[in-house]
Amino acid sequence: MSRVIGIDLGTTNSCVAVMENGQPTVIPNSGGYKTTPSMFGISQDGKRLVGHLAKRQAITNARNTVSAAKRLIGRRFDDPEVQKSIDLSPFEIVRGPNGDPRIKAGSKTFTCPEISGIILREMKRVAEEYLSETVHEAVITVPAYFNDSQRQCTKDAGKIAGLEVLRIINEPTAAALAYGMNRPSEEKIAVYDLGGGTFDISILDMSDGVVEVLATSGNTFLGGEDFDRRIVQHLVEWFEESEGMDLRSDTMALQRLKDAAEKAKCDLSIRDTVEINLPFIASDSEGPRHLNYELTREDLESLVHDVVEGTLKSVEQCCVDAGVQPSDIDQVVLVGGQSRMPLVQRRVTEYFGKRPHKGVNPDEVVGLGAAVQAAALLDSGNDMLLLDLTPLSLGIGTYGGHFARLIERNTTVPVSKGHVFTTTRDDQSAVKIRVLQGESDLAAENDLLGEFILSGIRPAPKGEPEIEVSFDIDANGIVSVSARDLATDKEQSITVSSTGTLSDVEIDEIIEEHDLYEVQLRD
Amino acid sequence: MGQIFVLASGCDIRQLNLSVAEGYLLSRFDGATPWRVLREMAGIPALEADTVLGRWIDAGLLEPIRNADAAEASMQPAGDSLVTESLEVESTSVETRAIDETQIDEELDIDVATQRRILEFEASLDLPYDELLDVPRGSEPKVVKRAYFKLSKEFHPDRYFRRDIGSHAARLDRIFKKVLEAHELLSDPDLCQVENRSTVKSDAEAPVAQLAASESAAKPEVAAPKPLTKLERLRQRMPFKIDQFAFEERRATAQEIFRAAEVSQNAGRMKEAEANIRIAISFDPGRAEFKEALGGLRIQAAGARATKLLATPIERMSDGEIRDTWTLLDEVLIYRPHDPELNERAARICLQLGKIGLAEEYAQTLIEGAPDVAGSHTLMGRIHRELGDMKAAVGSFETALKLDDEDLDARRALAAVRLGAHKEAQGGMA
Repeated sequence: MSRVIGIDLGTTNSCVAVMENGQPTVIPNSGGYKTTPSMFGISQDGKRLVGHLAKRQAITNARNTVSAAKRLIGRRFDDPEVQKSIDLSPFEIVRGPNGDPRIKAGSKTFTCPEISGIILREMKRVAEEYLSETVHEAVITVPAYFNDSQRQCTKDAGKIAGLEVLRIINEPTAAALAYGMNRPSEEKIAVYDLGGGTFDISILDMSDGVVEVLATSGNTFLGGEDFDRRIVQHLVEWFEESEGMDLRSDTMALQRLKDAAEKAKCDLSIRDTVEINLPFIASDSEGPRHLNYELTREDLESLVHDVVEGTLKSVEQCCVDAGVQPSDIDQVVLVGGQSRMPLVQRRVTEYFGKRPHKGVNPDEVVGLGAAVQAAALLDSGNDMLLLDLTPLSLGIGTYGGHFARLIERNTTVPVSKGHVFTTTRDDQSAVKIRVLQGESDLAAENDLLGEFILSGIRPAPKGEPEIEVSFDIDANGIVSVSARDLATDKEQSITVSSTGTLSDVEIDEIIEEHDLYEVQLRD
Repeated sequence: MGQIFVLASGCDIRQLNLSVAEGYLLSRFDGATPWRVLREMAGIPALEADTVLGRWIDAGLLEPIRNADAAEASMQPAGDSLVTESLEVESTSVETRAIDETQIDEELDIDVATQRRILEFEASLDLPYDELLDVPRGSEPKVVKRAYFKLSKEFHPDRYFRRDIGSHAARLDRIFKKVLEAHELLSDPDLCQVENRSTVKSDAEAPVAQLAASESAAKPEVAAPKPLTKLERLRQRMPFKIDQFAFEERRATAQEIFRAAEVSQNAGRMKEAEANIRIAISFDPGRAEFKEALGGLRIQAAGARATKLLATPIERMSDGEIRDTWTLLDEVLIYRPHDPELNERAARICLQLGKIGLAEEYAQTLIEGAPDVAGSHTLMGRIHRELGDMKAAVGSFETALKLDDEDLDARRALAAVRLGAHKEAQGGMA
C-alpha cells in the first residue's frame, strides 16, 4: 500500500507531512525548507512556477504571480470578501462563467481550485521525491469555518492534483491531533490558529487517543496578511504625507512594501524596532525617492490592535458554544505563524489566564496533524480517533420564512436527527422540504442545499398531519434528508451532494491540461 | 457486565493450555468479583477478554453465580421472594442478548469476536441510555464522557475506514449514532430528566444473571417498561432553537393583541390601535394581515390630511404639500405595495420631485398590476422621456393610444416627442 500524506494547504505557506515509524514527520522540499509558499506564477517567458520560484518573481512580475488563492476558493465573485481581495491583489480577478472568481495570469484564466490544485500537486511532488514512491491519497486541512462549497472546491483541487482526498479536516483539529498524540491524560485544550489568511479557534476534549471537538469558531477572512496590509497602508500614507507621492497604483512598489512589511512584522516579534529601507521606491521629475522608516513594536501593536481583539471575540463565542469557561481550559495551543507575535501571545495569555503551550511548531503542527489523521483512518495499529463536527447548522425552511435547525452546528458526526412537522393549510396535500445550511434564523439568509416535495398527504385540517423529517450525516459528511408522512408511511428523500464551482468534466479537462506541463527526470 | 462467575468444580487450570495473561485471568475468578472488574485486570484488551470468557463458558469452565447488583438486593429482608422472582426474569444485560449468528461472516476484514460484539451491542440498543453506556444513573458528565469515548473507540465507523466489513458498516453507523445520542442526553441535565421520567425502572426488575442465552427461550416475557417509540422520543426532544410550542404561544398572543387593536379601532382610539398592532407584529412578524391593517390604519390616522392631499391634483400643490404627500405615501406604500392609486400618485410625485428612477419603479408596479390602463402607459412614457429614452417613450405612448385612442395626453406627448426627434435630426443634418 502506498503512503498517505497530510497536507496543510495554507493561505501563504503549505506544508506536507507523512507518518514515519509511528511519528508524523514534516517533509522538506528540495530547497530544504519545511514549508513551501502557496504561490503560483507565470514567468515572463511563459513558464509555470510554483512555490519559492514563484515567490522569487513576485516583485518583478507581480501581475502574473498569484498568492492567497485560498481566500477566494469556493466563494462567489459577488462575495464582499472577494471584492475586498480584488482591490488589494496585484493580479487580476475576473468573474467566471459560473459566477465564481477566476484569476488571470499570463495569457490564461485560472479557476481557484486549479491554482490550489497546482500547489497541492507541488506538495505531492515534494512528498514523492522524499519517499521515492508515488502518492495517491491525502488528508487535506481547511479552516474550521470553511463552508460546504469551500470544502468541496478544496476536494476538487486535490482531484486536479491527482490526489484522492480521504478526508478534509479542520486545521485546529489537525493541530490538536498532532499535539494530542502520545498524551494519555484527559485534557481540554483550545487551539488558537492565526494563520496567513484565516483565523480559527477550536476547543477540544481529549482523552486516551480520542479527540472530540467541542466547538469551533473563526473568521475566514482575517489573518497575518491583514497585519501586513495595515503596515503597508501605514507606510503608503506616511510616504504620501512626507513625499507627496501616492504609491497605491504602483504594483511593483506595493509588492516591495508588502515584502518589507512582512519581514518587519516578523522581526518585531523578536526586536523592539526595525528599520524599513526601500531605496528607489519611486521616482519623479526631481529624481528617485527612497523610503526609510523606523517602525517600533508599539507602532505595530497600535496598528493591528483591533484585529487581535477581533480574534478574541471569536474565542469568546467558541467558549460559549463549547459550554466552558476560559479557566476550564488545560492547555492553549498556538498555531499559525502570526501567533508568534508578542501581542497575540500576551492577549491570549491574559484571556485564558495561562501561558500557551510551547512544544509545537506553529508552522508545522497542522500538516503533522493531517498525517496523523491519515494514519488513524488507514493504519489499524494507530489508536487515535477524531470525533469531528459539522461546521454549520442544517435544517429546513418553515412557515413564515423561519429556519428550523435540526442539526445544530458543532454536532458530532455521524449523526441522525429528526423532528415532526405539520401542514399550515386545511387539506394541504403536499409539503415542500427545503434543506438549508447556515446560522440565520431566517430561511432566506441561509444556503439552499436542495429541496423536494412530499405529496399524497391525506386531507386533514391544518396542524393535524404528522410529517417526520429526518436528517442524516455519515462519517464522510454526506447529508441525506427524508420526509415521511406518519399516517400513510409515504416517504421521500434526497442525498445532498455539495457542489463546488467546477463540474466533473471541467476538472477532467484541467487535469489533462496540467499533464501536458508535467516534467520528469530522464533515467 | 455485572455477572459473577466461579470456576466449575473439578477444573484444574494448570491442565489447560493457557497464555500467561489468560491463566492469570482465570485464576482470579473467585465467585465474588464481577466480570466488569475482572475483564480490566488481565492486561489484555477488554474486548479480547470478553471473547476469552465466551470460550471458557462454552467449554464449561465457568459457572455463573449471579449479578452483583442483585446480590445486594437479596440482602434486604424482602429479598428472598424478590430473588426467586427475578430468577425467572430474562436478563436484559448486554452479553445475553440473542444475536443472529448468520450475520457473522469470516470472509470480512474484521475478526469474528468483534463481529459478535457488534451484533450483541446492536441488539442492546433499545436499553435505557445509562445502561447502554454502562454508567450509573445520574453520573457526572465526566463519567458519561469517558464511557462515550470508550464506546466511540470501539464503534466509530472511522475505525474501519475503507475496510470490507459488509453489513456491519451500517450497524456501526447505527450504534455510534445511538451512543452519541445517549451521551448528549446524559450529559445534559435538562434532557436527562425527560429521559429518566420515561424510562424509570423499579428496583424489583433489576436483572439477574442468566448467562446462557439458549436457556432463556422458555422464560416468560417481562413487562419491562415500554421503551419509547421513536416518535415519542422525537416529540420529547426539541433539537432546534425555534421552540415550536413557544412559537405557537407567541402567535396566539399576537392574535389576541390584534383583536384588542380592532376593538380600539372601532372605538375610534386610533393611536392605541396602532400601538397594539405594532406589538402584534413584533410577536408574529410573518402575518401579512397585521401589516395590511397597520397600513390601513395609518392611512386612516393620517385622516383629513391624507384625504386632502390625495384629493388635490399634483399640479395645484405647493412644493411643501408635495413633499408632505411624498412622506405620507412612502410610509403607507410599505403596507400596500401594490395599491394602484398609491402607486400612481407616488410615480407622479417622484416625477415632479425629479426622482425619476423611483418614479419608473412605481409606474412599473402600476403597469404590472393593471397592464391595460392607458393612463399608466402615458405616465410611463413621460418618465421615459424624462430619462431621455425617446424610443421607449414613443413605445409607451403608442401602447397608451392603442388602449384608448381618446387619450389626449398621450397623443399630445407623442406628437411632442416626435417633433423633438425630428428637430434634432434636422439639427444634426445642419
